[in-house]
Order: sequence, then structure tokens, then C-alpha cells
Amino acid sequence: MKSKRIIATAAMAATAAMMMAGCATEATEVAETSQVPQAEMTKISMVLWPGPEGEAMQKIVDSYNAKQGLIDGVEVEQVLLSRADTFSKQATLMRSESDEYDIYFTASYLIAQHAPYLTPMQNFDASIYMKSSVESLQVDGDQFGVPLDTSLHFMYYRNDLVATLSEPANATKYSAIAQEVLGKALSPNLETSTWNWDDALATAAFFTQKYNPESPTKYGYALPAKNLLFNTMIWNDILWGLGGNWLDSSGKPDISSDAGIQAIEIYSTIYEKGLTSPDSAQWEYAETNAALTSGNAMMALQWNAAYSELSTTGETAGKIAIAPPPGSGPRTHVHALAVAQNKFSANPEASQKWLSYLATEEAMAIYAANGGVPSMPGILSGMVSTNASFANLIEYANEIGYSRPKVAREFDIYSSLAEELSPAWIGLMSASEAAAAADEAMTGLLD
Amino acid sequence: MNQTRSLEARRASWILASPLLIFFAALLVLPIYLGLRTSLSRDRFSNPEVELSGIENYVALLGDPDFWESIRFTLTFAIIATSLQLVLGFLLALIFDRNVPGKKYLFSAVLIPIMIAPSLMAVMYRLLLNENIGIVPAFFGLFNIEVTLFSPNALFPLLILLDCIQFVPFTFLLFYASLQNVPDELYEAASIDGSSYAETVRRIVIPLLKPAIVVVILLRFLEGIRNFDVIYILTGGGPGTMTQTVGIYIYKTAFSQGDFGLAAAASVVLVLLLAPFTPWIIKRLSTSEQQ
Repeated sequence: MKSKRIIATAAMAATAAMMMAGCATEATEVAETSQVPQAEMTKISMVLWPGPEGEAMQKIVDSYNAKQGLIDGVEVEQVLLSRADTFSKQATLMRSESDEYDIYFTASYLIAQHAPYLTPMQNFDASIYMKSSVESLQVDGDQFGVPLDTSLHFMYYRNDLVATLSEPANATKYSAIAQEVLGKALSPNLETSTWNWDDALATAAFFTQKYNPESPTKYGYALPAKNLLFNTMIWNDILWGLGGNWLDSSGKPDISSDAGIQAIEIYSTIYEKGLTSPDSAQWEYAETNAALTSGNAMMALQWNAAYSELSTTGETAGKIAIAPPPGSGPRTHVHALAVAQNKFSANPEASQKWLSYLATEEAMAIYAANGGVPSMPGILSGMVSTNASFANLIEYANEIGYSRPKVAREFDIYSSLAEELSPAWIGLMSASEAAAAADEAMTGLLD
Repeated sequence: MNQTRSLEARRASWILASPLLIFFAALLVLPIYLGLRTSLSRDRFSNPEVELSGIENYVALLGDPDFWESIRFTLTFAIIATSLQLVLGFLLALIFDRNVPGKKYLFSAVLIPIMIAPSLMAVMYRLLLNENIGIVPAFFGLFNIEVTLFSPNALFPLLILLDCIQFVPFTFLLFYASLQNVPDELYEAASIDGSSYAETVRRIVIPLLKPAIVVVILLRFLEGIRNFDVIYILTGGGPGTMTQTVGIYIYKTAFSQGDFGLAAAASVVLVLLLAPFTPWIIKRLSTSEQQ
């Protein structure tokens, strides 16, 4: 018994000695590099969501805490909430004027709702960012938040399959299938950057086994048609590509326009004609990727973030190509993720110091090197060799990115459109009925 | 003297009960009060100013067809799911009540689904049932059977099936525990009297299990009403509002539309709609216990 006590005491002493030694080493490092004494360091916390953004951000946080943070006297802690419900949790915190977190995660489509709970940025150099990303985070002329990732959409397709359309026999078959599915005898258009939706649908039909049993893919298209606001963002590309908009020139909801009806009917044609799986009624980002990489689907309008997976995984590895969304004019949704200072933060000065660092090319270079897609063209263009889609991202953001109407409840409108339009996307309701319901719902949200 | 003692006893009872009362006030009375106050306020995420608005939210709610549609869907779902889970759990309990080979291992296997969080189950379902990468469609594919489990026509039966997979083990467990209390002598006596097994179950076992049946109905029906996780993760309440439970309606109203006042009013109305059933269920339960 006595010997056990002696061993336990010795173990505790050894542990304490090791801990003290560790502290001493750390303290020595701090003393060597920091201009701010440890006791005066301010700890701040920042919300982000898990996934590539959270992982890339952690690298910046680590780097900052080890170097610049010691000079600024700021230590940053990143808190990763759930990918699905970060914004819900934040909504309750914002509403209760909580100071639990100093920095909130936000996005272009939420910035108008978050703005009353955020502090505008000070000394922000917008010139190093993509213009569309910076502008998407402005409310009443104030810049809220540091842009992080820029997101937009590509039309992904299998270039090995589209290339086969140049064969004469396939061209004849293509024309016959287009006649059967769309009622028009079309010829293959191999120039995917000039596709309109007839070209896209005819190509999708050609690579659907229902119409072409020799097609290597079961379906020509992977349609993310779940009732989800992010799916509405994708559908919006069709609306804008056809010349439509949420609102008409007088500011009234305008989904019932010809372009709106046509955009809904393009989705319902894809679904009802069987160019996509019946299951796609419940598909979102992950399922769309799975349909492509499994070799079951040939093309899809999908987020730029999917490129890394699609270009390296399964049946699409080395075979995936990118085109702009079919249509004309500005037609790809662009939004930026961002972080911004909580208006009720207990550490406003420390928060601004951290955000100022985050808005530097040094910080964003770390972000990009670790899987982030920063909104800085200078950094992205230097990384095209590692991710070819960055070139398309810069080009599309500048040339075909559309600007959404500036409305306070943008997030709510996206959700509402998803709810009203998703039944019509899969043919459970007529396009005109759904468009009218969407207009009515939007009217309530514009008040 | 007696009066003093009585006063002291009363004081002591209040002091002894105070921790529970404080706990009760903090976790039940206060949230109910805050919920009621929010339901009577114009409390929107887009506007930090909160104002009292009287019954405005209730008027808006009662005139919202989506709310009534979500109530209809929720009740339909809860009634069908509860009925199936009641029957399947009971049948499973009867099977396990007899000497089944490998009972010990099967028993553990059957209980696995209730040990997993519903949200985690939903994520697993998304993977397992995915047409492109899921093991279930792949299995059917071996027999050239094509399954599209998430198509609109298959959605409701699928959601019921998934709820049953997770919660039949729960009803089974309650019934199985109750069956252990049925004395063997009753079976023997019934057998001597010439009763078949089916008759014994119908005339003896089921009446004896009435308290358990009421508990199962109460718990599963209330859980069915509160259903959120699996349906939200799999369908988001769609297509449109086709699979929108009242829980999803409340969640979306609060966090997609940012209307906390309306969401609180929906919660209050839901409680009021369910409240009349509670005394009836408790009465049935106590009557069964007395019997």
C-alpha cells in the first residue's frame, strides 16, 4: 500500500515537472517573438462551418496565433458548428445579442439579414478582391465582412462522351432523339460554350439509355431538385440565362414571366422525360456528384467546388470538362462566403485586428494552399496549375456572373422559391401554378 | 401546539420541495412564458426591434394553408407509423417470448436501431439508399430489380418504413418486458382448457398488456407528432410541402423565414391541439393499471 502511494506521488511529481517544463518552453518562445505580454493577450472566437472552408481557415488561425497574433496580442479560436445548421444557431445568438462569438460566419445571400447584428469593416482594401464578391457583401454602402470563398456554377459534362457526337452515325441518332424528346430535329453542337438549353437537353437525351440503349450513362443529366435553397440558386441560372429575373422593372415579383415559366419547364422536361433519375427529386450537392462520378449521369449544372472531386474521382476522373451554364448574358449565380464582426462582441478591437489580417493576401494564400477558394483573382490565377477550374471561376465571375436584386430577405426568398417551385420542377404541379405561387410568396417577403 | 407543528410541517414541505419547484420553474414555466410572449410579438430576425402584436401571429397562422397541411401530414404520419409499430413490435415480442434459436444475439441485433440518433440514421439512409452509391439499390440491382426509393410516389411509404425500422425495436422492447410478467400458469391453464395459441394471445395476453399498449401508443404517437430529424434530412419537407411535418414547418418559419413570432405561435397551437388527448390517455392508463 505504502509503495503504491510512493509510486503515485512520484508519478504526480514527474507529471507536474513535465507540465512546468512545457510551460517554460512555451513561455520562452512567446518571450522571443511576441511584442505583447501573454497576460495581455485577448482571446477571440470565430464561427465557421466544418468542411474544406473550416479546415483551410484552421491553417490561417494556427499561423496567426503562432506569429502575427503574438504581435497583435490576439489569440483566435475557431469553432466549427454543423454544416447544415450553422446559420440557424447563429440566428438565435444574433437575436439574443449574444457575445459568445466575436466573429460570425456569413454569406452574400444572408448579409442583408445579418447586417443589423454586424459591425462594418474598417480599412478594407477592396482592390485585391473580385468586384462581384466585394459588392455582394455590401449593405447600404457599408462593407460587412471579409470575403472568403467565391462560389458559382459550371456546366460539368463528360468530354469523352460529347466528343463522340462528331461521329456521323451518332449525329443522325442525335437528331432523331431530339425530335422524339423535344419535338425538334437538332444537330449536335460540339461547342459547349455556345450551348443553349435545347442543345443541353438534346445531348442529355442522347446519353440517356431510355432513348439510346447504347449510351454508356444511364441518364444524361443529374438534376438537383430537392426543396432546398441552394438548389434554387442553381435553377436561377436558367432563369437569368433566358433573360428572366426575380423582379420586373417596377420591382414586382416576376417568376410568372415567359422566362420564368420556360425555366421551370426545362427542369420538368428533364425530370418527366426521364433524362434524370426519379430519385433526383431529393438530390442536392452530394447526390449530384455521386451520379456523375458513378458514371450514371453525363452532365449537370453544379457548384464550382465540385471540380476537385469530379476531376479526380470515379468515372469522371480526367474526363470532366467545364462549360458556362447554357443561355445568354449574365447567367451564373455568384456568392461569397465571409466572416464578419459581431456587433455585440466583447472584444471589438481584437476582432478588427484579426479581420484585418484575414483580409491580406498572405492569409488568403494560406487559405488557397489548403483547399479554400479565396475571392482574390491574384491568388487564384497563380494556382490554376493545381486547380484548372480557377481559370473558369475568374472568367465566369467577371463575365457572366449576375447580380441579384438587392432585397433584405434574400435568404427567405431563396427558401420560398425552393418550396414553391420544387413540385413543378418534377412535374407535380404546372409551371404557371408554381410560378404564381412563387410570385405571391415573394410579394409577402418584399413588404 | 398542533397549529405550530402543522405550520412547521408545511414550511418543511415547501423547503424540501423547493429544489424541484425551482427546477420546474426554470425548465418548464419560464420557457412556456417566453414562448407565449414571443408568440404575441412581432419578432423577426430581419428587424432587431421586437414589438407586442397581440394575436396577429395567431391570425396569420390559422389562415396559412401550409400550416394546416403540415398538421394533416403529421397526424397521418403519426397514426400510420404508430399503428404499424404497435402491431410489428407486438408480433416481434411474441416471437422472442418463445424459445427462438440464437435469441440472445438476435435480441441485441434487433435493438441496434434505437441506439442510433435519428439524425445519424437519416445520414446513413441517404448513403445506403442512394441510387448511385447505396448498398440497397446495388443489392436489388444484383437481381435486375431497379429501385428508385426517393421518387415522389415512393416517398411516403419509404419514410414510414424508415421510422418503423428505427422504432419497432422500441415498441418491441416495451411489449417484451411486459410479456415477461405474464405468468406461465396462465398459458398452461389456457392450454389445458383447449385454447389455441392465437386465442390465448387474443383473450389473455392482449388484455393483460393493455397498460403497455396505452404507453406505446402515447409515446410513439407523441414522438410521431414531433418527428423532424429523419424527414428534414432526407426531404427537407419536399417536394414543395409534400412531406412537411409541423416540426419542419416551425423550424423553417423560425430559421428560413426568420419569423420567430409566427413559429412560436405555431408551437403554442400545436400544444393546444394535442392537449385534449393527454388527460384521456392518462385516464386510460390509470384505468388499465387498476384493472
